[in-house]
Amino acid sequence: MLSTPLLSSLLDCLPACLPHRKSLHSFQVSQLIEDELLWIAAMEEELTPLDCLLPSALLRACADGAANHLYSSTAGDRDSFLPDYISGDFDSITAEVKAFYGDKGCSLIETADQDLTDFTKCLAIMVGEIQRRQLQVDAIVTLGGLAGRFDQTMASVETLHHALPMTPLPLLMLQGTSLVHLLRPGRHRLAVNTGLEGDWCSLIPVGGACQTTTTGLKWNLNNQVLQFGKLVSTSNTFEPVGPGNPRKPVTVTTDRPLLWSMGIREDGQ
Amino acid sequence: MLSTPLLSSLLDCLPACLPHRKSLHSFQVSQLIEDELLWIAAMEEELTPLDCLLPSGTQRICLIILNQPLNKDYLQILWRKALLRACADGAANHLYSSTAGDRDSFLPDYISGDFDSITAEVKAFYGDKGCSLIETADQDLTDFTKCLAIMVGEIQRRQLQVDAIVTLGGLAGRFDQTMASVETLHHALPMTPLPLLMLQGTSLVHLLRPGRHRLAVNTGLEGDWCSLIPVGGACQTTTTGLKWNLNNQVLQFGKLVSTSNTFEPVGPGNPRKPVTVTTDRPLLWSMGIREDGQ
Repeated sequence: MLSTPLLSSLLDCLPACLPHRKSLHSFQVSQLIEDELLWIAAMEEELTPLDCLLPSALLRACADGAANHLYSSTAGDRDSFLPDYISGDFDSITAEVKAFYGDKGCSLIETADQDLTDFTKCLAIMVGEIQRRQLQVDAIVTLGGLAGRFDQTMASVETLHHALPMTPLPLLMLQGTSLVHLLRPGRHRLAVNTGLEGDWCSLIPVGGACQTTTTGLKWNLNNQVLQFGKLVSTSNTFEPVGPGNPRKPVTVTTDRPLLWSMGIREDGQ
Repeated sequence: MLSTPLLSSLLDCLPACLPHRKSLHSFQVSQLIEDELLWIAAMEEELTPLDCLLPSGTQRICLIILNQPLNKDYLQILWRKALLRACADGAANHLYSSTAGDRDSFLPDYISGDFDSITAEVKAFYGDKGCSLIETADQDLTDFTKCLAIMVGEIQRRQLQVDAIVTLGGLAGRFDQTMASVETLHHALPMTPLPLLMLQGTSLVHLLRPGRHRLAVNTGLEGDWCSLIPVGGACQTTTTGLKWNLNNQVLQFGKLVSTSNTFEPVGPGNPRKPVTVTTDRPLLWSMGIREDGQ
C-alpha cells in the first residue's frame, strides 16, 4: 500500500505524464499503477449507490433488444429518450425499432463477437466514449440484467467482473427492487442514507472465497470467509440507529471481488 | 476411486449394517464412505432434469414450493407426481390463491418457516385442513433450507423411494434471495444424496457435485440454452454433448463462465446426446425450459 504522502506526489506528477486526463482521482491512480505492475488495493472512496436514481445521465446506450423496451416504454415522448448509441449483434432489436432510432441519428454499432455478451460489448463502447469525450463520470448505471433467464443474470455478474480491469468507474446494476455492485479487492465505504434504500442488503462471494470485514451492518463480518457452501450474507440489513438519526455508512473490506446487493424502496421508484 | 468389483461388494454388505435403508444406490455408498474418511468422487448416474415436468416421466419426486408467483402448469404436473409436498412460509399464500376453487386437491403435507410471510387466513385454512404447521425460528438459515431439512427427514422417516426433490420458485425477485437459494443448494449437498432441481419461469437450476455427471436432455421439454456457472469458485471442468464443450478448462467468474451455451447439434430426427460434465468442485448447471411445453 502506498502511503498518503507518496500517493499525493504521484497524483501531482501523473497529469503531466498523461495530458488527456485533466484530473485524476485516487482510484484512477490505483488503476494506472496496476498497469505498471505495482499492485495497490482499492483506495477507499465513498460511493452512494442510490444517488444514481436522480436524473443526470451524460451518455445513454441500449444493448440490442433493450431498444425495443425503450421504444415501447417511451411511446408519446420518444424524442426525449433517444440513446447516444445502440450496440449488439442485433438479433433481438426489431426492424421497426432499429429504423426508428437510426433515422433519429442514434449510432447503431454492430458488435458480432460471439464470445462476449451484448452487455459486455456495450460497456466497452461506453468506456471508450467516456474517454474519447473526456467526460467526468462518477458511475455507470445499468438498468436490467438481473431477471429473466438465470444464465443471463449470471452473465451480467460475469460482465461486472470483466468490467474491473476495463474501467475504474463503479458499475451499478438496477432492476426491480434490487441493486447489484461488484466491490473490488480493498476497502469500500457505501453511503446508504438517500432515503431510497430498501430494508435488506447482502454480500455474495460469487467468484470464490472472500476474507471479509464490515461495519454498519446489522450482522457484521469480522475477518470472516464468505464462500458458497460455508457462509453467504443474505437478508442482512443496516445497523439500527436512533430515530431521526442518519444511518452510518457501510464499510466493506475484501481480498477478492465481492458482490454487494441491496434493496431499493418500492415507494421510492 | 474404488474399483467396480469392490464397490459391488460394499453395496452387498452395507444394507445388512444399515437395516433402515432398504436399498442403497451408489451415491449413498459414497456418502457413507466419506463419513468413514474414505473419499470417492460422485458416481456417474444419469439424471434427466426435465423428467419431472414430463407427464410420462418416471422420476419419483418430492415437491417444495417457495414464496414466488406460481406457474400453474408446473404446479399441476409436479403436485400430481409428488410423494410429499411442502410450502416454505409465504409460498402457502401463492398456493392458496393459485388453487382457488380446488384447494382441497392441493393440501401440502406441511408448511414450515418462521411464519412472517404467511397470512393469518391462509395459515388457518391449511391448519384446519390438517396440514402440519412447523415453525422453524432459526434466523441463521433460510426458510428454504429449513423446509428442505424437514423434507429430507420425512423421506427417511417414511422410508420413501425418491429420485429427486423439486423446488418451484426461488430464482426470481430479490437478488439476495436468489443467491440464498443457490446457497441452499450448496448446503443440500451434505444433507441428502438426492438431486435437488429448482424451477422458475423458463429456468431450471441444479448444483452438480464434484465428480462426473450425465444429463439426459431429450424429453422434448428442453429450451434452447444451457449454462455452467462456477458460483462457489474455480471449477476444473470437462464436458461433452454441448455446442461449446470444455476440455479440462477452469470455469471461474472473471475468467470464464459458460452462459448461452446450447446442446450439440444432431441430425434431424435424431435424439440429442446426453450432456456429460466432470467437475472438481460444486458447479451450477442451468438450462431452459421450453415455453410451449409448460
